[in-house]
Amino acid sequence: MPDNKGTIVVVDDDVQLVESVTTLLESVGYEVFSAYRAEKGFDLAKEKQPDLILLDVMFAGPPGPDGFEISRRIKTDEVLKDTPVVMLSGVKKVLELGYDVTPDDDFMPVEAFVDKPVKPEKLLTTIDEVLEAKES
Amino acid sequence: MKLQTKFNLGIVVVFVVLAASIGALSIHFVNANTIREAKNRVSIYTRAAWEIHDGRVAQIEAALEVLARTQMVEEALQPPADGWELLEVREKLERIRREQEMDVLNLLAPDGTVVLRTRYPYATGDNLADDPIVQQLITGQENTAGNILLTRDRLELEGEGLIERVLTIGPVPQAMFAGAAVPIVQGGEMIGILEMGTLLNGAVEEVDRIRDAVFANETYEGKPVGTATLFMGDLRISTNVLDDQGRRAVGTRVSDEVAEQVLEDGEAWTGRAYVVDTWYLSQYDPIRDPNGDVIGMLYVGELEEIYLDLRRRAVAMFLAVVFGGMLVAFLTFYFLTRGVVQPIKKLSDATQQLSRGDLTYRVDIEERDDELGELGCSFNTMAERLEEQRREIEQNQQRLKQLNDELRTTNRNYMEMLGFVSHELKNPLSSAMMSLHTVKDGYLGELSDAQRRSLESVARSLDYFQEMIKNYLDLSRLEKGELEAHKQQVHLHSQVVEPVLEGLRKSLEEREMQVVDNLPEDLDVYADSNLLRIVYDNLLSNAIKYGKNGGMIELDGSLGDGLVTLSVCNEGQGIPPEQMPKLFKKFSRLDSPAYAKEKGTGLGLFICREIIQEHGGRIWADSEEGEWVRFSFTLPDQSRRSNNA
Repeated sequence: MPDNKGTIVVVDDDVQLVESVTTLLESVGYEVFSAYRAEKGFDLAKEKQPDLILLDVMFAGPPGPDGFEISRRIKTDEVLKDTPVVMLSGVKKVLELGYDVTPDDDFMPVEAFVDKPVKPEKLLTTIDEVLEAKES
Repeated sequence: MKLQTKFNLGIVVVFVVLAASIGALSIHFVNANTIREAKNRVSIYTRAAWEIHDGRVAQIEAALEVLARTQMVEEALQPPADGWELLEVREKLERIRREQEMDVLNLLAPDGTVVLRTRYPYATGDNLADDPIVQQLITGQENTAGNILLTRDRLELEGEGLIERVLTIGPVPQAMFAGAAVPIVQGGEMIGILEMGTLLNGAVEEVDRIRDAVFANETYEGKPVGTATLFMGDLRISTNVLDDQGRRAVGTRVSDEVAEQVLEDGEAWTGRAYVVDTWYLSQYDPIRDPNGDVIGMLYVGELEEIYLDLRRRAVAMFLAVVFGGMLVAFLTFYFLTRGVVQPIKKLSDATQQLSRGDLTYRVDIEERDDELGELGCSFNTMAERLEEQRREIEQNQQRLKQLNDELRTTNRNYMEMLGFVSHELKNPLSSAMMSLHTVKDGYLGELSDAQRRSLESVARSLDYFQEMIKNYLDLSRLEKGELEAHKQQVHLHSQVVEPVLEGLRKSLEEREMQVVDNLPEDLDVYADSNLLRIVYDNLLSNAIKYGKNGGMIELDGSLGDGLVTLSVCNEGQGIPPEQMPKLFKKFSRLDSPAYAKEKGTGLGLFICREIIQEHGGRIWADSEEGEWVRFSFTLPDQSRRSNNA
């Protein structure tokens, strides 16, 4: 097992994806906690206070806040406001949104946006860049 | 101009021209005819006048001939004729002269010496051999008759009162004499000459006889139809032309023109002559003495007005017939053309109704048994057919609409299902790819070459799978009609081309391809950046997929004619011309070995076309087979407008 590079909370409703990402992140030395619903993810983050949160946008199941709203909550939370968030979603690749999806402070205050599907290398690079930016 | 007006105008013009030419021709014809006729008649009248005049002279000659054969005359010439015998002969001859109403009756010796003057018995012994009548007789030894001039001296010798009589007619102390001379023969030898005649000066019975015989002394509107005149030289000596006071117009002279032609040149003169107060068609013939010298003129004239009236009536009748005929012809033509024009007008109205869409309109000229009736029939049949066809078309349209609606619903359902399925496939695919690449890229431990090759094969299948899902989701939205371009100002480089190239960087590296970016750095377009990225993603993916390994991909862009023209060109197999039409069709794949080895959904270019059309642009391809292929598309250049807005 490589050295512990830090803690990451993964929030996504896709169990398979969470498992894949967890496997990848753990293989390069992160400690990973995961949740399958948005609010659960927010609570988990408050509890674990990770170095980074990996957040999906759309959640299946009973109605609740989406990834955009959780990202806004994180940035206004006393404890989590400095924790970087990487949005991981498939919304951008299809036509379901009529507008361009880019991080912005009001609607989606996140550090990076990664399209699903994503290749391991791209995901790891993005996470590394975000963490480096936070430290500097 | 209406057809009827045109016809009317045309026929009026034709008739006016015809009437004018026929009128002119007829007037000319009548003119020429009446004038020729008049001249002919005047010439005939003149000949008749001559006959009458010559007849009178011949009468004198005949009377003399009888007289010359009497014993009494022969004895009077037998020498020695004494005074008593002569006195007795003179008395007898003088009685004859008076009975014959002659002015002169002389008995001459064969040499022309006067033996006896019955009118003036004391004047004898003078010689009359220079009298042209006597002269001719002496020369020819035979009867001679004619007209001669008697000089003043001769008149004095011939008897008392003659000069006075002559001078009451005119100022010339000369007389024109009509008479004859015959030889008196005894035993084959001429022993003397008898000469008798009358003065024509003032001899009205002569001219009146001519008038009465030729013109029957008729009057026309108060004027004599014809007149006759005898001239001595240019002086009227006997006439029935009356002057303005109703007297015979003797003592006046003829015009210089006539005098010159008739008296000097000895030719007859024919033409219009103004006599006293009226125009006459006239002829003046020269009167010659037996020697052939012109001594006077014989005039015959006929009132011109008769001919003028005749001509007027002829022309009037001619014109009346012509114009009457034309009026009848015009009316006939008018009603004939009306019969043709009316149905044409009806047809024209009906055609207009038809063209306005009223297919139930019919024209009511079928009962005519001519071509127009046939035309009306054909028109109605045509209208009926059209009406029928329109009904059929409407029914067909209805059916088609129904079918179309059904198809649309089916397609929509199908597309919704396709979208739903694709969407549902997306998540499992994402996690599958993540896991696969985590293993393949060695994060979970070293792999053997065989393991890696096998996993790479799976990865390629998943890539295709992913592309398929993406296209199906796009198609689903397009087909459901949910595609709507949210246009805004887009910086082509940073917002469209660079993100797409970033996503394709790995594929480019694998194929060792070079992108030559010639797009203007500051090029802005007014478009939906998401949709435009799909277009560039599709075009560039195709360029990579079908391009030549290690080849070039060139991006170009230009402004002009209110359009932004953008293109993506790559080196490679190109596209055969016959395959071009298939390019932008849904689910179409190129039928060529170069393209068969690459998998494709056949949707990418169709989606591109839909997106570009939604933007109001156009997309097309050109290619040189085996060399290159270029996809170009246009977008309306609205950058300036949106900047100003």
